[in-house]
Amino acid sequence: MALDIAKTEMIKLTYYKNIFGHLHRNPSQFSSSLTTLACNHPVKIFKMIDKNGKEQISVDDKWYYASVGSHMGFIQMEYLSDKKVNCFQEQYPRFFDAFNLDLTELYYFGRLYDQYFQETSTVK
Amino acid sequence: MSRLILFLFLTWTTLATSQTEGPPAVSAPKNEMAIPEVSKDEKKQEVVDFNSIKEILKNDKLEPVVEKKVKVVKVDQKKRDDILRKKYMIPTEQEFWSFFSEMWLVKRATQLKWDFKRPHYGIEQSFKLFLEKMGFYQIKFKILVVDSPSIFHFGLPSNPDEYILILSLPFIRSLDLSQTEISILLFENFYRLRMGFMKAKVTTPELTKYLGSDFYNKPFDKKLMDQLLISYDDVIFKKGFNFQEQFAVTKEVGTIFKNNLKLWGLYYKLVEKIDDLVKSNILFKNYNSIYPSPELQLGWLAPKKSNLN
Repeated sequence: MALDIAKTEMIKLTYYKNIFGHLHRNPSQFSSSLTTLACNHPVKIFKMIDKNGKEQISVDDKWYYASVGSHMGFIQMEYLSDKKVNCFQEQYPRFFDAFNLDLTELYYFGRLYDQYFQETSTVK
Repeated sequence: MSRLILFLFLTWTTLATSQTEGPPAVSAPKNEMAIPEVSKDEKKQEVVDFNSIKEILKNDKLEPVVEKKVKVVKVDQKKRDDILRKKYMIPTEQEFWSFFSEMWLVKRATQLKWDFKRPHYGIEQSFKLFLEKMGFYQIKFKILVVDSPSIFHFGLPSNPDEYILILSLPFIRSLDLSQTEISILLFENFYRLRMGFMKAKVTTPELTKYLGSDFYNKPFDKKLMDQLLISYDDVIFKKGFNFQEQFAVTKEVGTIFKNNLKLWGLYYKLVEKIDDLVKSNILFKNYNSIYPSPELQLGWLAPKKSNLN
């Protein structure tokens, strides 16, 4: 999906809430990863403004345009939190480190959350 | 003599103070709880052996002061130990399983081929509705579709009220399943997880003891975790479930579906389809060793002749 972004404006600061995840080049979980991010990593959300001044907050109500470090890309809205969350790797830092995950494994950990079909059954 | 000792004591205090200024001994990584530095009193305690000058302290009536100092040092040490120990905690039973199952998925990513471009099937929506229809609420589930025939369908152990379900795309494609049939297959796996068979197979007494403990001042038991990964492989790829377990699951699911004859009929037909497939397609020949067996399942599901008369 080609997006015509002429200008951006930061709207809020959020935090990534899964164990690992990815910032994508395009609003699709199959688009290439710009960077892998860990739980509680700050993610700045921007609104997209096209050359006609039309503003857009999200893509398909699913993706935010965001910055992580020096990278600008797309991230799934449902994986972000307005507040810091309890992260497994922060709660059990030495246990997590003991697995000595290499970069490929960290990448795959993030990819899991791109590939999962997730839902929660609810009372109607 | 006592003056000399007091002089030495004060000199040491000055030295100890100057040593604590400067960079901390342990630099705490971002987002981790900082470890308090070794306090002045603790450092003094390391060098001054109060027992060897007991008599002198008694004569100078300094004993209460020493007792107070020793208490302060003990409290400081305990605080430091508690903070450090917390960093070395092993997750509890409640928090361990989802992490470990995902770790297994990550370690077996290339073998399972789950990182591939696949269509959005809408299975999460249909399974959500299915669970709600069956009266199962607040069930959080994650479905991972794999592009490999080495696994057919499986439920991985996870934290309470969370379910990690795996579906093989070649398997469901070969069966040409509808959304409802996929939901029934997922439901069977969901129920197998609720019965705790997989968790019971891979859990050892050592693991139960290890979970919720810590490895502060001890080496991490990597062997235990490696063994657990191997146990996952054994159950998922080789040994699977036994007849008793498969019988219990089939009976339970069959009983639940009996309240809705359409669903019961679909479940029966699904098992028939699987039976035909595993008998005819060499790609799925290992199915019977994981889930023994669709043919037997049909027998367990079929109403007894005496009930029909």
